Amino acid sequence: MIHFDNVTKVYANQNRPALDHVSVDVDKGEFVFLVGPSGSGKSTFLRLVLKEERPNSGAIHVAGKDLAKLSNFKVPHLRRRIGCVFQDFRLLPKKNVYENVAFALEVIGKPRRFIRKVVPEVIELVGLEGKAHRMPEELSGGEQQRVAMARAFVNRPMILLADEPTGNIDPATSIGIMKVLDRINRTGTTVLMATHDAAIVDSMRKRVVELEDGKIVRDQSRGVYGQAY
Amino acid sequence: MRANFIFSEVWIGLRRNLTMTIAVIVTVAVGMGLLGIGLMINSQVSSLTGYWTDKVELSVFLCEKNSPFPACKNKGAITEEQKAALKQTIESLPDVERVDFEDQAKAYENFKDGGNNSILLSVIKPEDLPESFRVKLKDPDKSTAVQDSLKGQAGVSNIVNQRQILESAFGFMEKLRNMALGVAILMVLAATLLIGNTVRLSAYNRRRETGIMRLVGASNVYIQLPFVMEGVIAGLIGGVFAAVLLIFTKVFIFEQIQTYTAAPLTWNTVAFVITVTMIIGVVICLLASFVTLRRYLRV
Ligand SMILES: Nc1ncnc2c1ncn2[C@@H]1O[C@H](COP(=O)(O)OP(=O)(O)OP(=O)(O)O)[C@@H](O)[C@H]1O
Ligand SMILES: [Mg+2]
Repeated sequence: MIHFDNVTKVYANQNRPALDHVSVDVDKGEFVFLVGPSGSGKSTFLRLVLKEERPNSGAIHVAGKDLAKLSNFKVPHLRRRIGCVFQDFRLLPKKNVYENVAFALEVIGKPRRFIRKVVPEVIELVGLEGKAHRMPEELSGGEQQRVAMARAFVNRPMILLADEPTGNIDPATSIGIMKVLDRINRTGTTVLMATHDAAIVDSMRKRVVELEDGKIVRDQSRGVYGQAY
Repeated sequence: MRANFIFSEVWIGLRRNLTMTIAVIVTVAVGMGLLGIGLMINSQVSSLTGYWTDKVELSVFLCEKNSPFPACKNKGAITEEQKAALKQTIESLPDVERVDFEDQAKAYENFKDGGNNSILLSVIKPEDLPESFRVKLKDPDKSTAVQDSLKGQAGVSNIVNQRQILESAFGFMEKLRNMALGVAILMVLAATLLIGNTVRLSAYNRRRETGIMRLVGASNVYIQLPFVMEGVIAGLIGGVFAAVLLIFTKVFIFEQIQTYTAAPLTWNTVAFVITVTMIIGVVICLLASFVTLRRYLRV
């Protein structure tokens, strides 16, 4: 599903690579944690999957497509098959829950009938039934992140990328967020989550890929956060 | 493509930048209005030039008893022999097509028909008007040469070359046209910069929306169209104001001076000019928003 082959990324005006000869394979339906200290290259990895950045060398395949050969014109179609969740939620403050989720479908030109059918379903899936008409400011951080997840998942992507989704949320609420991610993963969606949250990684017992200074230092199935060899 | 989505985004964008939008509309309106006026003057100049060139005449005025012209000083009125000799001289010139004599009665008729006001008419009598030869030329371009060769002939008080009168009138119109076009170019420049600025502001205001649109895979057209439409709609509204300005100009200026010109500005020409300025205005807005988008909206 996601295939990195010897990928190196050096940002302009930087001499140290953000990713340094990274090779990873993520299969369809897997749940992978991307861990590592700040600045180790986790977000860079996710941006490369989205083709928001290009690697300096190495090859990236996502959903069977070689990103180097994917024309700019086709990038939006790639992104329609990838959902994204961020630490800062990125909701539109002037739209309510329903409208925020529907926005993702409107802007890719989905018919209104389809939107009216799937948006309530996905709002229920993330556990926000009855709150569809709340504005973002009327929701807790955890609830806002659920809206963001609903928006990321509403188009049934093959891959869900989550960049520190629990970064702004207290541990108790985070468990709920992880339950939703797990539920999404169980529908067959590949989930890739960058995080600093040791407790979550330890409790989920999923595959862990650890980065340090842009290099992979550990790739462990059913791993934990800290180094445990 | 969901048209109502695009239009609600455009409407929000236009309202959010209301002052900038108004500035764009006003500059486009003034710029396109002046461009249109320039084009209308231009069509007037060319149709009038065409109309008048083959009607150009030289008026050779003859000395009377108390003629104020230096050429007649102390010579008294022209004699019949001089008149006949002069007519022969003029007719023998190779560039002359026809010579007509205009006596005082005829001159008075023409003066009355010329639309002069009644006060002037009441004090002027036929005896006050000079006699003249009306000289029609084979080639209007030779008028100055013919004029020079007749100057100083016995009994000639003054020669009026209509071509020179026309040229100074056309010269004035051409200057007016060039000024209108010059200011129009400046306005177009200002409109381009303003639109660029509006789009930049708009892109900044909507960066959250466009960021999300990029992430969920909206196509570039979908992301850029609302911005481009903002520019185009502002341009269209400006164009409508320019059209109104041009219609007013036609009714209140061109139709007023029309009595003196034999080739009135037609509504067809006005419609053509309005179409041209509309298209130019919209295309400029389109290009300006598109170029700025490239710079400020990463896709
Ligand atoms: N747009 C950018 N331009 C230049 N350098 C960048 C850019 N984005 C990231 N970097 C650098 O690349 C390296 C990796 O950054 P990245 O954001 O991938 O780290 P991270 O693992 O996500 O860190 P954190 O846990 O703090 O989010 C860092 O050294 C960072 O300074
Ligand atoms: Mg990061």
